[in-house]
Amino acid sequence: MNGRERLRRTLRREPTDRAPIDMGSTAVTGIQAATYARVRKALGLPDAPVRVEEPFQILAEVEEPVRRALGIDTIGLPGRDTIFGFPNVAWKPWTLPDGTPALVSEHFRYVVDEKGDTLLFPKGDTSASPSGRLPKGGYYFDAIIRQGPLDEEHLDPQDWAEQFTAFTDEDLRDLETRSLRLYEDTGYSLVGCFGQAGVGDIAFVPGQMLRVPKGLRDPNLWYEYLASHPDYIRGIFDLWAGNAMRNLELYRQAVGDRIDVIFMGGTDFGGQRGTLVSPKMFRELFKPYYKAANDWVHRNTGWKTFYHSCGSVAKLLDDFVDMGVDILNPVQCSAVGMEPEGLKAKYGDRLVFWGGGVDTQQTMPFGTAAEVGAQAGERLRTLGAGGGYVHCAIHNIQARTPVENVLAFFEAAKGSPVLA
Amino acid sequence: MSEKLQTLRRLIVEGQAKPAREACEAALSEGLPPVRILNEALISAMDEVGKLYECGEYFVPEMLISVRAMKEALSLLKPRLQAAEVKPAGRVVAGTVKGDLHDIGKNLVCMMLEGAGFEIRDLGVDVAPERFVAAVREGGADLVALSALLSTTMPSMKATIEALREAGLREKVKVMVGGAPVSDKVAREYGADGYAQDASAAVALARNLAGVGVA
Repeated sequence: MNGRERLRRTLRREPTDRAPIDMGSTAVTGIQAATYARVRKALGLPDAPVRVEEPFQILAEVEEPVRRALGIDTIGLPGRDTIFGFPNVAWKPWTLPDGTPALVSEHFRYVVDEKGDTLLFPKGDTSASPSGRLPKGGYYFDAIIRQGPLDEEHLDPQDWAEQFTAFTDEDLRDLETRSLRLYEDTGYSLVGCFGQAGVGDIAFVPGQMLRVPKGLRDPNLWYEYLASHPDYIRGIFDLWAGNAMRNLELYRQAVGDRIDVIFMGGTDFGGQRGTLVSPKMFRELFKPYYKAANDWVHRNTGWKTFYHSCGSVAKLLDDFVDMGVDILNPVQCSAVGMEPEGLKAKYGDRLVFWGGGVDTQQTMPFGTAAEVGAQAGERLRTLGAGGGYVHCAIHNIQARTPVENVLAFFEAAKGSPVLA
Repeated sequence: MSEKLQTLRRLIVEGQAKPAREACEAALSEGLPPVRILNEALISAMDEVGKLYECGEYFVPEMLISVRAMKEALSLLKPRLQAAEVKPAGRVVAGTVKGDLHDIGKNLVCMMLEGAGFEIRDLGVDVAPERFVAAVREGGADLVALSALLSTTMPSMKATIEALREAGLREKVKVMVGGAPVSDKVAREYGADGYAQDASAAVALARNLAGVGVA
């Protein structure tokens, strides 16, 4: 049984020889580049710099020998541009903050300021103001908030229009070529990293990809405006979703049914203890856009829709099902109401759980390999019972994670058949 | 409670910033003492907002618009409170620890503490242990509030608490911690005095640690 077959059977909740495994198919199921370098070394692979595929969270491009060694069943089809608005082309050397040799896009242009922070430029344009900051001694970039003056009496959603662009012919040819190659040359299940249907995703609010972002861009103010200026927010969402719907059709033309799963978006609605916004606000302001996009996918393709939201979203899961989410990620079992037994019992026949395999806030970085193995084994039994579970950590495997914990996590899935 | 104070309190709970400012102006022009407006309208309103958050009526956006309304009113009161030498509920030095740039949670905690009558010195994000030490040493503080979102930066909380100890300041302040990967267990391991799971809980914890009751 190859990865593609294993994943397809799992999506249909059919028996498999073992649970399918994902690491690296999306920017929410990845591995931080320095941790990846240590995994590579532990697997006995020859030394080589790590390619940073996703520069914001400094995630590694997972290579074929690692995929084979860990039993990974998936492969991602990322978009051409990173969140900083530049493509990953023509790799050049860069050193990770911990000294690990890496490769980054030639458009990854940065300066180091007097504090020792690394500042990254949007679109690789050093004449623009930098849009990402990696603090000295830190592990990830964060967005630099470039909030211009806001006239609350004259807010115009069109200020955001520049952020939403149609796929170009070049984008589409590239997607077609890469998806054909991955589909024909590998036995992996392809995950299309579309992502544009994540209307309202706070990660995109600062506009890291733009030279000069306009309109509301400060995440602190954003949450306030959801309540105080809903019409302005809805105007932005109309542009966001309108572009996503047009691009979905173009995406379908380019990749067809070579992908099994489409990453729709990753708007976070949960904190550790509950939802960030009220279920009422979710239903009125967000849900209609998601439902329209998922309905389109189900009407026009055989893809399963993958949706990411961190935190406690238990109170929204009936809505997620109702709006056509097929796959839930990252299944943050440590958050209130997200206990795996309860989720599986209530939603196991309607949602596929892609994640939930191990807690990356506590167990994975700070526990022992035995504790990681035990938690992974327990999640394989609860979430994996009867299929419908993809073995994957809860969000990206973070920096400073002990390599033996990473290996124990993947080892846990091997050799245990998933029965009907 | 006077009708003007009741109106101001309601407008803050509802998150109506401009009307709250106008209501505060009206209360002041009626001759109500600023400290009474602070206690009976602002602090009382923010306590109500905290309760509404705890019981699942309010969420982050609703809390933020109430904070905005409270700040509008507070900006009118502040110079008068300072002139009258009204003491704050406690003095707090707050910040997101070294290596971590996340500030939404920390900002919300600071604003809710301000709404509870605390004086806040917010050191911002990516704050090195020595900066916390310097802030406590130079300005004095009753409480130090540390925030972290990342599992990779959470250990900076421990380093900060150690730095306060080495500087001989640990016994002079109470340390509270919070953020997504943080827990009671982590707080105990790191030697903090308390952990708060959200901004509303942070107010209760700060009051407890500073030894002040609910207004």
